[in-house]
Amino acid sequence: MSADRPATLAAWLRTRSDAQLGALLAARPDVARPAPSDVVALASRLAVPVSVDRALDELDAATLQVLDVVLLAGTDGVDAADLPAALPEVPDEVLAGAVERLTTRALLWGDEVLHAPDPVRRSVRHPAGLGRRAAELRVPLPADLPAALAELGAEERDVLERLAGDRPVGHLPDTGSEAASPARRLLQRGLLARIDALNVELPREIALLLRGAQPYGPPRSRPEPDVVRRDPAVVDRQAAGAAMESVGRIGELLSLLEEEPAGLLRSGGVGVRDQKRLARALHVTEPEAAWLLELAFAAGLLDVGGPHRDEWLPTRAFDLWREQDLPDRWATLAGGWLATVRLPALAGQRDVAGKAVNALSPDLVRHTAPAIRRSALAALAEYPAGSGVGAEDLVAVLRWRTPRRADRLAPVPDLLAEGARLGVLVGGVLSTGGRGLLTAGEDGAADAMRGLLPEPVDHVLAQPDLSLIAPGPLVAELADTLTVVADVESSGGATVFRVSEASVRRALDSGWSATDLHDFFARASRTPVPQALDFLVDDVARQHGRLRVGAIESYVRSDDHGLLSQVLNDRRTAGAELRRLAPGVLVSGLGADEVLDVLREAGYAPAGESSGGAVLTRPPARPRAAGRRPGGTGPQAPRPLTEAELAATVREVRAGDAALAARRGEAVRQVPGVTTAGTLELLSRAVREGVPVWLGYVDAQGSGSQRIVAPVSLAGGFLQGYDERRGESRTFAVHRITSVALVEEGDAAPPL
Amino acid sequence: MSDGPLIVQSDKTLLLEVDHPLARDCRAAIAPFAELERSPEHVHTYRVTPLALWNARAAGHDAEQVVDALVRYSRYPVPHALLVDVADTMDRFGRLTLANDPVHGLVLTTSDRAVLEEVIRSKRVAPMVGARIDADTVVVHPSERGRLKQALLKVGWPAEDLAGYVDGQAHPIALDQSSWHLRDYQQEAVEGFWAGGSGVVVLPCGAGKTLVGAAAMAEAKATTLILVTNTVAGRQWKRELIARTSLTEEEIGEYSGERKEIRPVTIATYQVITTRRKGEYRHLDLFDAQDWGLIVYDEVHLLPAPIFRLTADLQSRRRLGLTATLVREDGREDDVFSLIGPKRYDAPWRDIEAQGYIAPAECIEVRVALDDEERMTYAVAEPEERYRIAATAQSKLPVIRRVLERHPDEPSLVIGAYLDQLEELGTALDAPVIQGSTTNKERERLFDAFRTGEIKTLVVSKVANFSIDLPEAAVAVQVSGTFGSRQEEAQRLGRVLRPKADGRQAHFYTVVSRDTLDSEYAAHRQRFLAEQGYAYTIVDAADLAGPGEVNGPDWVDEPAD
Repeated sequence: MSADRPATLAAWLRTRSDAQLGALLAARPDVARPAPSDVVALASRLAVPVSVDRALDELDAATLQVLDVVLLAGTDGVDAADLPAALPEVPDEVLAGAVERLTTRALLWGDEVLHAPDPVRRSVRHPAGLGRRAAELRVPLPADLPAALAELGAEERDVLERLAGDRPVGHLPDTGSEAASPARRLLQRGLLARIDALNVELPREIALLLRGAQPYGPPRSRPEPDVVRRDPAVVDRQAAGAAMESVGRIGELLSLLEEEPAGLLRSGGVGVRDQKRLARALHVTEPEAAWLLELAFAAGLLDVGGPHRDEWLPTRAFDLWREQDLPDRWATLAGGWLATVRLPALAGQRDVAGKAVNALSPDLVRHTAPAIRRSALAALAEYPAGSGVGAEDLVAVLRWRTPRRADRLAPVPDLLAEGARLGVLVGGVLSTGGRGLLTAGEDGAADAMRGLLPEPVDHVLAQPDLSLIAPGPLVAELADTLTVVADVESSGGATVFRVSEASVRRALDSGWSATDLHDFFARASRTPVPQALDFLVDDVARQHGRLRVGAIESYVRSDDHGLLSQVLNDRRTAGAELRRLAPGVLVSGLGADEVLDVLREAGYAPAGESSGGAVLTRPPARPRAAGRRPGGTGPQAPRPLTEAELAATVREVRAGDAALAARRGEAVRQVPGVTTAGTLELLSRAVREGVPVWLGYVDAQGSGSQRIVAPVSLAGGFLQGYDERRGESRTFAVHRITSVALVEEGDAAPPL
Repeated sequence: MSDGPLIVQSDKTLLLEVDHPLARDCRAAIAPFAELERSPEHVHTYRVTPLALWNARAAGHDAEQVVDALVRYSRYPVPHALLVDVADTMDRFGRLTLANDPVHGLVLTTSDRAVLEEVIRSKRVAPMVGARIDADTVVVHPSERGRLKQALLKVGWPAEDLAGYVDGQAHPIALDQSSWHLRDYQQEAVEGFWAGGSGVVVLPCGAGKTLVGAAAMAEAKATTLILVTNTVAGRQWKRELIARTSLTEEEIGEYSGERKEIRPVTIATYQVITTRRKGEYRHLDLFDAQDWGLIVYDEVHLLPAPIFRLTADLQSRRRLGLTATLVREDGREDDVFSLIGPKRYDAPWRDIEAQGYIAPAECIEVRVALDDEERMTYAVAEPEERYRIAATAQSKLPVIRRVLERHPDEPSLVIGAYLDQLEELGTALDAPVIQGSTTNKERERLFDAFRTGEIKTLVVSKVANFSIDLPEAAVAVQVSGTFGSRQEEAQRLGRVLRPKADGRQAHFYTVVSRDTLDSEYAAHRQRFLAEQGYAYTIVDAADLAGPGEVNGPDWVDEPAD
């Protein structure tokens, strides 16, 4: 190694040109703000694990494979010239590109000799999918490894081959203790290492032996999936069909909710019963109804409202939305969907506790969703118009692009299916509308869809079987009116309404007169109004309102009609607010006592009457407060605690105690406040050194606890560890950790 | 955007605008895979059901044709998901086939192993299949052929039946077309049926279904069993067969409650076959009495459940179903499909009417206001009595008389459901009454008298709903019915739809008590008729004009000048 080569990352950074440093900051923007004071500060920021993880997450599989070569080299530093020999099947330009990408991001440093910074080493848990060395795993390997492997049975060999693939860690099958699964037999032979109760790891040496000529695994070249090609015009037409369908359905759904809002569950979301009701009314399946609810919510057309904020109601935006033309309405839906942080496909699936997740529930939020959605669509958009790839192939491409984020790709097929329902894509091919959405947002989407969607119609065809057919999407005003006077029977490109006795009655109830209805039908229908429809309206109108219902407080009756007329015309009784309801009956909005008083004062001789018609000689009642009903149950005794709850409470108390004691001990270093970097540094150190940590933790329900945890792993913002006091292994979200401290050796918490 | 006549709805209904220039082509394109549901004046509704799609597959259409027809004629873009669903559904048909194996006899074979695995594992199907021959083939016991097809349809994997038919015992039958000719559509229906092997022909009442049956027999030239709804219908068949074919009286047997003859052509009633004594069907032997080459089911939509069960055993014989409608009130359309066969031919009423083969009909609802006493009786009646009280109201009588007076020279039927009312009407109108207890002999005498014009008016009960042929009935007055049944309506309308000698218009009256259950049921019927495309008018009894008056039955609008 020549003397003028930089010896550290900071020194190497100093040798980089301004442009190269600029590229570094552009590629890793998280280290750029606030501006680092000097190269040393920059280097230390580059070493922050979160930043390293982020940078690595964005690399594709081919680049990571090159990094693996450097990480696995026995020496510190690999000569760039040696790389082609290590990966003979990878083309040179791919290698050069990979090295360029890695050095630009300072994930490797050095010019001829490439070095990997320590944080990068730590961040890559299983370079090239290889486990740790047998020595690190504390597994004594057989002296003659090839011979030991040769005498294995097919099953065992199969297990080893699998672990020698991408992931050296595997779950032990849950077969009970006595059953000897191949993995357990391998454990006994010392060919696998147990890393905790459930998982085993394959020592690196064995994997390398199995891999033979390809120690770094097969070359990770970009997958070249079969391209689906379809006529763009056909794609657009089918997308338009889906778009129309979606817009129509959302309109119907929200009109239904307008009439009868869905209740808000205490846990958020819409209840199963409401969802069923909507599905039935819309003639769709329940998952479909859930999707529509989610879509309406994502587009801002549906939200929680009502006087008690406990109902799902259409928003004000819905009123504007329905007035817009179809392309704009569609663009709003598609835009809302693209940006939503929710995964509608999760609705109805069971969560870890086995409970089905309700539509619109907060459990559906995944903050990575918009990024995944966009990256999936962007990958499709790279294909020219009229071509694309199937869902599985797309997932393969995305997995190659960001292998470290492969676990996030699970929702991709569902996302694509949703896109297809909306008309953003058709059979793996982006529609023009979908492209517009991706490149120019909602306006672009609307513009691309314009011309494909029909113009709204302003008339219906009335038929003798009392159906009204709107031969296309209706203008908003007519659609509103029709939903009052008729029931929707079938929807889609057209809408079939049916006028029935019930619907006419509904219209009359909401203030229409028979004449209004006749006029409306005559105006709205392009065909002559069938006689049967006019008859129906008249028939119902004749029956309507023959019974009248109103509220009064008291009445005055007499067989002497003359007397009643006299009372009614008497100026002195004006205070009683009497009016004639029918011959022989006057009514008043005032109470019986008051009316009696007024009449008596005016010189009449009225008598009170009971509800049965008997004359009351005494005033109706003396004033009384409404008392409590006797026999009501008193306050109920609290439910006794179960044994399990008692035990859990005791464990919690003791764990808190112990943690407090541990913290008070002088040997414990406490990091006050919440500094993510500091917390992470401490935690990763704890993981590395296997030192227990003291945690102040606030769980998802907001209750705080203090615990001592033996950390196992730290990844993706989650700390996994074993809480000895509570006897459970669990996952802690790093952002919920309020404070953390190392518990030094020898300062074990007091025994229970 | 194209400007097609078709609108495809999300629920897989198709709306066809009939006044569109392409409407005829479009109808022809979609008819194979969509059932006509409603055909009112302007927009017809078709429905695409799995059964209809499988019918299309059975008739040799493929998914591409279906998708093409939908896309080509659709006015608006068709959602991709719907097309995919159509293709998927059609794809399910024919994965399984029933065939004859030279070694193993009847076998179920598949082109898709997973499907075979799925179905033979299903509880419904498992007991009906025998040994596995190879990965794609499994033995089926011949007696389970029908039930297996039924079961496969229920699990959503309908089998294509290619196992063929036995020829049956040959018997010479020929059509005697010296004085008449098979109409085009009848010819097409027979060809469609024969090419498909077994199946159902859907033709409106009065369109000559009997002749389709006769022509099918002439094609089969084999002994034939004809199953009909009742004895009168059976005699009717016999008369037609003697008149239109080479068959003689001696060759045709009647197997009914009265007579038990088995001849080369045997006509049996559903009732006698389904009669049970001590829990056993007594007349099953009939099916084995001859080596039948063809079995004809008249009025398939009324086929009783036991006959379905018996039919399951007759899968190796050719089966022809005849009906005016595939709609069954019991919803067992799929049994008709799997046991008798897919729909082989259908023609909409209006088309045949337009060709002049059935009489155009005018449907009129006459509303009668009940008098106060009747209204009171109705208001306080028990719910189950209400319809009867409304339907048999005395106030209807003068109106019925008035309706009949409008058509003094026309042969008229008064149809009702309540015997008391019919007796009363018979007395009041001085017309004979035909009901369940009327002997067959008496019935035939009255029908003959009616045919010759000796009797102008007949009062009939429900018994006349089916298969009696009264060629000259031009007016039907319906006074009470079975709770607005669609089927009954179709049958009653059929009574007046037979073509009249002089091409006169038929009149179909319904007398209804206003503001009662009766008018509610009438609304059902009205909807049904309107959906069938009939002009339907409502008049108030008071406004019912007599002959010679303004708007009377013979009233012709004068030109304005």
